[in-house]
Amino acid sequence: MERRAFKQCVYAVQEEQAALDIVQDSMMKLAEKYAQRPIEELPLLFQRIVQNTIRDHFRRTKVRSTWTTLLSNLGMGGDDEDADPLETFEVDDSANIPSSPAGQLEQSQTMAIIEEAVKALPDRQREAFMLRYWEELDVSETAKVMGCSEGSVKTHCSRATHSLAKVLKAKGITL
Amino acid sequence: MNEQEFAAKLKPWLDRAAQGVGEMQATKLKAARLRALDAYQEPVRLYGLVPTAAGTAQAIHYGIVQRALLWLPIAALLATLAIQSMGDIDDTGDIDAQLLSQELPPDAFLDQDFRSWLAKPHG
Repeated sequence: MERRAFKQCVYAVQEEQAALDIVQDSMMKLAEKYAQRPIEELPLLFQRIVQNTIRDHFRRTKVRSTWTTLLSNLGMGGDDEDADPLETFEVDDSANIPSSPAGQLEQSQTMAIIEEAVKALPDRQREAFMLRYWEELDVSETAKVMGCSEGSVKTHCSRATHSLAKVLKAKGITL
Repeated sequence: MNEQEFAAKLKPWLDRAAQGVGEMQATKLKAARLRALDAYQEPVRLYGLVPTAAGTAQAIHYGIVQRALLWLPIAALLATLAIQSMGDIDDTGDIDAQLLSQELPPDAFLDQDFRSWLAKPHG
């Protein structure tokens, strides 16, 4: 659980030490302030605390990624805006853990590109995508954690997946 | 490919990325988790009146009845001591009363010669 939360924070704040601090703070807040809540509520509460702590971090540091700007621009008005990258995205069904060094290198490069693409998503899109598709919360739960409407969650998720597909396709990545 | 299918394809990559967290970070995360678990306690009830978590006593706000209950052991102790000291006074009073009811004057009991005379066997 904490590793996934850590990676979420790394994608968001793009700094490992800050991400570590956020996860540590979130776990302590959960333990100290929500001990009386039913145990089944704790995973959702933890996600909420993590996201709020990330936002607090942004408020404090005012970090703005150049990647975010770059990808936002890509998403906002490319030449082929009407084309749906998901429709044309290629899937490699034989994708497994490669045994050869060359295959492993290729996989680590693919991993790096995917992680950079996720980091480059606008904050709210990344948050929605991570909660909905990585943490596998449903739309309603995601909306609660994000403090927005279910419609906004769907919109953010849709934009996030399209942006990711677009970037990965442009890099020649097949999943 | 739709949105869900694309996300499903991406998820294993993200899982692998999470598993690939550096050893130092993983150790720190594990330590943080243990610290949090240490701080986390199941809710307990104090005197059956106030649900609270252990380790957060300073954050508890007691009601009037609960405050009274907290003072109860001290009040009981003070009451016991008061009753005991009153008993001592009664005992002293009894001794004085017995002394004064004797035919002999009190000075007689302070007289060493009289004590030695009393101790002698008398036919």
